[in-house]
Amino acid sequence: MLRVSLRNLLVSKLRLFLTIMAVTVGVTFVSGTFVLSDTMVKAFGELYAGLTSGTDVVVRSEAAYAADLAATGGQVRPLDESLVAKVGEVPGVAVAEGSVFGFALVLDEDGEPMQPGGAPTLGTSLTDDPRLAGAATFRKGRTPSGIHEMALDARTVKQAGYEIGDSVDVVLRDGRRSFWLVGIIGFGETDSLLGATLAGFDLPTAQKVLGKVGVVDEVDVMAEGGVSASELRDRVAEILPEDVEVLTGEQVAEDGTASVRDSMGAFTTIMLVFAGVSVVVGSFVIWNTFNVLVAQRRREVALLRAVGATRRQVLKGVLLEAAAIGLVSGAIGLALGVALAAGIRSLLELIGVEMPTTSPAVEPRTVMAALAVGLLVTLVAAIAPAWAATRVSPMEALRNAVPAGGPVSRARRLAGWGVIGAGIAALAVCAVVGNQRWATVFATLITFVGLVVAGPTLTRGMARLADHGPRGGGWRLAARNIARNSRRAAASALALTIGLTVVAAVTVTATSLKESVSEAVSGGNRSDLILEPAGAGLGISPSVADVLRARKDVADVVELRESAAQVDGRSALVTAMDTDGLDRVIDLGIQGGSLDALEPGSILISTTAAEDLGVRVGDTVTVTFPETGDIALTIGGTFNKGSLINTNYLMTIPDFTANVTAPLDGAILMNSTSGTDPAQAKAAIEAALVDYPNVTVNDPSDITQKAQDSVDQLLGIVTAMLLLAIVVAILGIVNTLVLSVVERTRELGLLRAVGGTRRQVRTVVRRESVLISLLGAVTGIALGLVTGIALSRSLVAEGVSTLAVPTLSLLTYLVIAAAVGVLAAIGPARRASKVDILRAIASE
Amino acid sequence: MTTESVRSALPAALTEVSSGRTELAASTRHACKIYGSGDTAVTALDDVSLELPPGRFTAIMGPSGSGKSTLMHCLAGLDTLTSGQALIGGTDLASLTEKQRTILRRDRLGFVFQSFNLLSTLTAEENITLPADLAGRDPDPAWLETVVTKLNIADRMAHRPSELSGGQQQRVAVARALISQPDVVFADEPTGALDSRASTELLRFLRSVVDDLGQTVVMVTHDPGAAAYADRVVFLADGAIVDELDDPSKERVLAIMGRLGG
Repeated sequence: MLRVSLRNLLVSKLRLFLTIMAVTVGVTFVSGTFVLSDTMVKAFGELYAGLTSGTDVVVRSEAAYAADLAATGGQVRPLDESLVAKVGEVPGVAVAEGSVFGFALVLDEDGEPMQPGGAPTLGTSLTDDPRLAGAATFRKGRTPSGIHEMALDARTVKQAGYEIGDSVDVVLRDGRRSFWLVGIIGFGETDSLLGATLAGFDLPTAQKVLGKVGVVDEVDVMAEGGVSASELRDRVAEILPEDVEVLTGEQVAEDGTASVRDSMGAFTTIMLVFAGVSVVVGSFVIWNTFNVLVAQRRREVALLRAVGATRRQVLKGVLLEAAAIGLVSGAIGLALGVALAAGIRSLLELIGVEMPTTSPAVEPRTVMAALAVGLLVTLVAAIAPAWAATRVSPMEALRNAVPAGGPVSRARRLAGWGVIGAGIAALAVCAVVGNQRWATVFATLITFVGLVVAGPTLTRGMARLADHGPRGGGWRLAARNIARNSRRAAASALALTIGLTVVAAVTVTATSLKESVSEAVSGGNRSDLILEPAGAGLGISPSVADVLRARKDVADVVELRESAAQVDGRSALVTAMDTDGLDRVIDLGIQGGSLDALEPGSILISTTAAEDLGVRVGDTVTVTFPETGDIALTIGGTFNKGSLINTNYLMTIPDFTANVTAPLDGAILMNSTSGTDPAQAKAAIEAALVDYPNVTVNDPSDITQKAQDSVDQLLGIVTAMLLLAIVVAILGIVNTLVLSVVERTRELGLLRAVGGTRRQVRTVVRRESVLISLLGAVTGIALGLVTGIALSRSLVAEGVSTLAVPTLSLLTYLVIAAAVGVLAAIGPARRASKVDILRAIASE
Repeated sequence: MTTESVRSALPAALTEVSSGRTELAASTRHACKIYGSGDTAVTALDDVSLELPPGRFTAIMGPSGSGKSTLMHCLAGLDTLTSGQALIGGTDLASLTEKQRTILRRDRLGFVFQSFNLLSTLTAEENITLPADLAGRDPDPAWLETVVTKLNIADRMAHRPSELSGGQQQRVAVARALISQPDVVFADEPTGALDSRASTELLRFLRSVVDDLGQTVVMVTHDPGAAAYADRVVFLADGAIVDELDDPSKERVLAIMGRLGG
């Protein structure tokens, strides 16, 4: 049986290729994700180890809780600089130096900000002791010294085209300053830290320009010869006050690596969800392929059974074939995954996120996952067809007929429609009730199961419709072929349904979100202009607000700041705003309490958060800041989330500043004095902020546009990810068509003999393909539409207040699906049009 | 024999005239067909010149490998000659493109094969009207009526091939071959897969199609009994015409076949 199985595999190379590809795409996704994240973790591990290699122990404040590094920027409560000298006196300490870091935005020669995509713009103190520097070395020049000197990372220097001795402008917390470039820093072989820009100063300068006069963020310590790092750590620990910790350099490197691992974890999860969609679609394709294979091989199987093969042997034969395909797909997918990871790394470097270099990390787990996914998906999908193969009677060896699926039983039809009805009803209930995220997903799955059960019936219905298409256009023949193999056609279409359901649902939700954003801006905003950091910038220097307040044409200036924190133990983003003029720049939609109650010591929380926490106006909540720990705030009022600012917690600037070191403004809302021309006001403000090129001045329509653009961008990324699942579905359709053409060789030959032109034969195949694609598209878009509506309604609490159906987008998907059908048919149609008439009509 | 009586009903004068002065339904001139090249070349047709007058029933016979099927395929535009000419009416098939030959098959020729004549997804009627359908035309309803009545399948029109007997399937195939009122109907071993009763029935129908409807039929067969229904039998051996027989009887056909070693 093994020999028969393996030979079967090689019979049709094209079919084999398509089948393997269907599984491979999903496996590639899975293994690529793992390789990429493992490689990043490994690379950063090596980088951090290098950077801290000169430091034996590090002294720093203990964080109140382990907040996400990305949310806090790694900021912990600064230490008083007197601690540096104290640590230096500990026996066994060779060198102890304080260091600080903070916000520093480097400008290029044209005054444009050097803003890497998503990476931080760092300012830091540099040690002049090479023993402490670790892997950070001066490629050129020397350590900066004094208030006028600065060093830059090699990447930023290269990009801006600066040279040693140039004057470089930097935007800092307190405004724009110029420095002489005296040194260029490299990190091992890498030019930058994950693409971040890095401006280095001597310690006193760094303290001054980064807003940390008299304090240091950490104390870096080197041990004398013969004193081990852990020994030194224990000695230093004894003299430290409470809330200050001491770690070995190794521990710090591990912490850094761990935080990279954590952030990669979220990435991995998201990617695996998309991979999962591809894998499910792939399994449909495999299931279908094996169904067709078994159907086509009924005579062969019957013959094997007739000459004495047992059912068990037949089952084993089919499953062996599946296992072989699964393993090969897994192996190919693994190889492609490694390549994909390398490709993504190059792509990231292209857009400016420089990665530390290292060899690709292919962990045993990755290999196992790739092979297991390939094998399991293929085997599971092949079980039902394999079982069907064992049911073939030996008598069938004597018959000759194009295999056709039997009629769909009434029970199955009713069950299918029943489940679909129940699923849609559940979705409708979810939409009406609102805020039912998991129920929505579940109801969608149920409906899909219904579609699977009722698929053949749906297919036949569609075929009946197509049967009435224009004469001579091949519609009738295509419709009949689909009706004959309605199960096969249904399975091909459903693979497409999965991808399109998700795309349509996401599109509906995103459109609703966009619409809600516009409404929130027009409904909640009362300001004339909103200032935001440009690009992916971290924030705006607080000195910008001072510039604005000093102007005569500006009436209200309200700063907005954000930080990660915990509220009653739950992770949250807390927002702080100036109370003066607050109700003139924004309508918060106060529900309980009052806006006036917002003062130091109090907090406003959204109605949803109040419900989640089970608190009311007048209650007290505990806000835990990563740097300073717990503070208790009284709830002064509740407001509707989903207005202009997307936050659940609003506090005062004084409370915020007391707990966050060197904060930047996330945004500034302002009103002009009455009588100022809005267009002129914007230009005037822009002119006034010429020293802050990283600040964008937006009127309300700009804000709406920006928010919508970012939703569109997200939608684009998600759609691109789902494109892979759709590609797999297309492979499935191609596979189905090829198989169907092969088994109809004689019919096609006959058609050609009695006067069907090649073009007509191609048309028939193309019509079939288009019909299958449209079935998949219509069901997918319909289900996606309903799901999207329910999903939008499930996000009401998250600020999706409006429901919007993107009719044009959905219709576009339909047209694209039809085009995809045409595309998928190209190969099979060509093959069909080239059948050898003489061989096809020859008698046996 | 019934055949004799049926044939005697044919106006003899018409046959005379058509063979002489009117255009031939189909013909070949010095037709050669060689498969392969060099040492492995196989000559399937060797200088075959054949004239098929309209309104006649011609049988082509010969032992296996004699080239009779090749001759029919080349004559019907399903295959091309290596040299020489194959003509349908006055049209030289070699002068046509593949597409033109396909259209010619659709509009001017009819086909009946040994088996697998019908598309299983179409009903009998849809199979019959398939050539018209492919041409995007409506079939002539009166002619359709005439043909299906003649072939006695009027009550089977809504059935799928799988619901028809072998004989009925072949009659549906004959009806399809006739639907476009073709210049020539080519039948390739049309009774090969039928039992003797169904065979006899089908051959009578073919005979009456020639006699009553004035159609031209060319039938390839190796069954002397079937050949006896024809007006004329052409014998092929090793790719060349070796004998001809007008008004054949089964015995005379058998005698010649015996000589040819078929």
